[in-house]
Amino acid sequence: MKSIKDIRAALAQQQYVATDEIATVVFLAQQLGKPVLAEGPAGVGKTELAKVWAAAGGRELIRLQCYEGLDETKALYEWEYAKQLLYTQLMRDKLNDLMAGTSTLAEAADRLAAEEDVFFSQRFMLQRPLLKAIMSEQPVLLLIDEIDRADAEFEAFLLEVLSDFQISVPEIGTIKAKHQPMVLLTSNNTRELSEALKRRCLFLHVGYPSVESELEVVKLKVPGLPPKLAQQAVEMVQRLREMDLKKNPSVSETIDWARALLELNAKHIDKGILDTTLNVLLKYEGDIQKAKRQLIRDETRGKAEREGRDGGAGDDGRRGRRGGEDDWTRGRNN
Amino acid sequence: MEKRVIDFITALRARGVRISIAESIDAMRAAEAAGVGDKDFFRAALRATLVKEYPDQPVFDELFPNFFGLETPQMPQMPGSGLTDEEYEQFMEQLMEQLQNMTPEQLRQLFEAMMTGQGMSREEMQQLIDSAASLGEISLRFAPPSYAARRAMRELQFDKLNELLDALMEKLREAGMSEEAIQQLMQEARQNQAALAQQMADQIGQGMAQREARENQARREAEDIMDRPFEQFGAQDADDMRAVIQRLASQLRSRVALRQKKAAKGSLDAKTTLRANMRFGAVPFDVRYRHKHLKPKLTVIVDRSVSTEQVVSFLLMLIYALQDQVSRTRSFAFIETIYDVTPFFNDNRPEQAIGQVMQEVRSKRSYSTDLGASMAALMDTYAGAIDRRTTVIVLGDARNNENDPRLDMLEAIKRRARRVVWFNPEPPYMWGRYDPGSLSSDMLKYQPLCDAVHHVSNLRQLVAAVDSLF
Repeated sequence: MKSIKDIRAALAQQQYVATDEIATVVFLAQQLGKPVLAEGPAGVGKTELAKVWAAAGGRELIRLQCYEGLDETKALYEWEYAKQLLYTQLMRDKLNDLMAGTSTLAEAADRLAAEEDVFFSQRFMLQRPLLKAIMSEQPVLLLIDEIDRADAEFEAFLLEVLSDFQISVPEIGTIKAKHQPMVLLTSNNTRELSEALKRRCLFLHVGYPSVESELEVVKLKVPGLPPKLAQQAVEMVQRLREMDLKKNPSVSETIDWARALLELNAKHIDKGILDTTLNVLLKYEGDIQKAKRQLIRDETRGKAEREGRDGGAGDDGRRGRRGGEDDWTRGRNN
Repeated sequence: MEKRVIDFITALRARGVRISIAESIDAMRAAEAAGVGDKDFFRAALRATLVKEYPDQPVFDELFPNFFGLETPQMPQMPGSGLTDEEYEQFMEQLMEQLQNMTPEQLRQLFEAMMTGQGMSREEMQQLIDSAASLGEISLRFAPPSYAARRAMRELQFDKLNELLDALMEKLREAGMSEEAIQQLMQEARQNQAALAQQMADQIGQGMAQREARENQARREAEDIMDRPFEQFGAQDADDMRAVIQRLASQLRSRVALRQKKAAKGSLDAKTTLRANMRFGAVPFDVRYRHKHLKPKLTVIVDRSVSTEQVVSFLLMLIYALQDQVSRTRSFAFIETIYDVTPFFNDNRPEQAIGQVMQEVRSKRSYSTDLGASMAALMDTYAGAIDRRTTVIVLGDARNNENDPRLDMLEAIKRRARRVVWFNPEPPYMWGRYDPGSLSSDMLKYQPLCDAVHHVSNLRQLVAAVDSLF
């Protein structure tokens, strides 16, 4: 992947519609070796980007899902106490042999200390995603998902790892990355991230796509859907996004909806289909009611204007055009 | 190239975008890696390295064309490239002759650039622009760059280029050049002329943005908002306000969350400890504690009068943006009696809910505010909203229109609640002072009954006051 165009082609091969911006940022991340911070509403393909990026670059994807209370032991490494205990139990005889012949407690402790390395070696280390990414023999892509859910202190801890790509384990020493991993952090922006973290990252804002690119996504992901229906569906979703809803439908929901339409063998989007499938797009009852009310209002207005126009009433171009746009049951009327 | 990126960064900073030195270096490296060949890529590269806050992206998009509008000041055409050698010589001869005795100098430069297709470097163009004297007075604030460009062209007699071109073509025609060749020359020259005009306009726009950047450098928008008195906020600031509140709320939230985490732990939780240590043979390696429930319950009582409108909406927006750090919030507004406004917030987003509260709860006559009666009504109807974990926030100026302040009611509230905190938008020297507009203030009478009294007249004070609640 030598140029931005190559990257876009590679991502497209993984069925991902990358904008210029996404392709450029991925390119820069590879060139400059910097982490990428992708921000945007849920379900616009931030996590998906990590998957296709890994696949396109032939890297293994290692994922760290963040949550409130995530700490080093869950993100970095942990000593496997149970295994250590089990080993000492099973090796009791061997230990007795080792200790045999010692006269003082101090001598015994010294001998045991000499063998300490056995117990604090990588054998007894539970590798968590960050350490795994650093120690991997193969180049990897590290996805740190929903970093905004983690606490501020974890974020600070992450800075150290992301800037040097090395980890210090007191008992073992410093472990340096064999291959510098590509890092993608995602954030749904529920919390302001620290300046320091942002400064270290390339920033990528992934927003809701335009009609064209969303249509492209739907065509890629749901190839069986008739083009005309796909167009209608995407326009519908875009209209819903313009309404003042508690949660806007995202691209992943558009795809789900398109699949549902395909399964239901819908010919066009009419009231019946909407009634049964709107809950795929909207996840709050209040939103569904609101959307339905508004769609019905728009429809009646559109119809009235159409009749007015047919009746030869002096209608200006603007209202006429609106009427056309809002006519979501046109398919049924035909 | 580097200089232009640096100028661009300076302009961004002047508009309040925070860019560190490290980020500027990244931007340089990114620009190099992405190359200048494709403007979209170049722009995406700069944007990814310089703009780390989504709300700042419009500023970037607005300024970018001013600095990188025309990457290569190269002329689209080399006039005469399609001519035969003989014709070309003829054309050059005529051109030189015409150029020799042409005045003024600026016009000659422009015409030469246009006819030879060599174009003008940025410096040459800048000199030309600078020679248009009156341009320096036009400020971006009062005129768009296109206006300045038109004016500069008028001053430089850009129109005259057409006449000159016609004259040259006439001469060539007399010298016996074919009509076809002349038409082609004309077309090429016209394209160059348009390109020159574009270059000039871009450079003028950029110059204006840079000047603006220098002038505004000292001004810091965000700081200003923090210290601006609430009554100076108007409807036009609504978007700014929301952005600032969001930012403040998230800052507060992480601060509060950290504080709660760091706070002293509760007593030993034997059950959980046992369960967690089963794998170690019940040897308690990993000791678990009960969490102390530090998340407060809030009951907010706000004065719904015109004078406190702004501060009320700010307070409510902040409180409701911090909902995840609060276990429960009840809100009340009072005028002559108490109104429960919690339901508005259950069904709507905070901004909408506040709008509705302002719409639906309003006084029917002036001088009707009566906190005493309102508190009595609160204790009568909604006493359940206050329990021993509740922090009660009263927001108001304690100007009671000579009504009974009902100190006994505040005392009753205080007895039930964990804490009573008063937010007063008036400065302390006004407390308890008679004011002809709003009559007496009972603040000094209420004050001893409160656990804390905060003066909140701007965002900074409000944030500090809200911070102290947690």
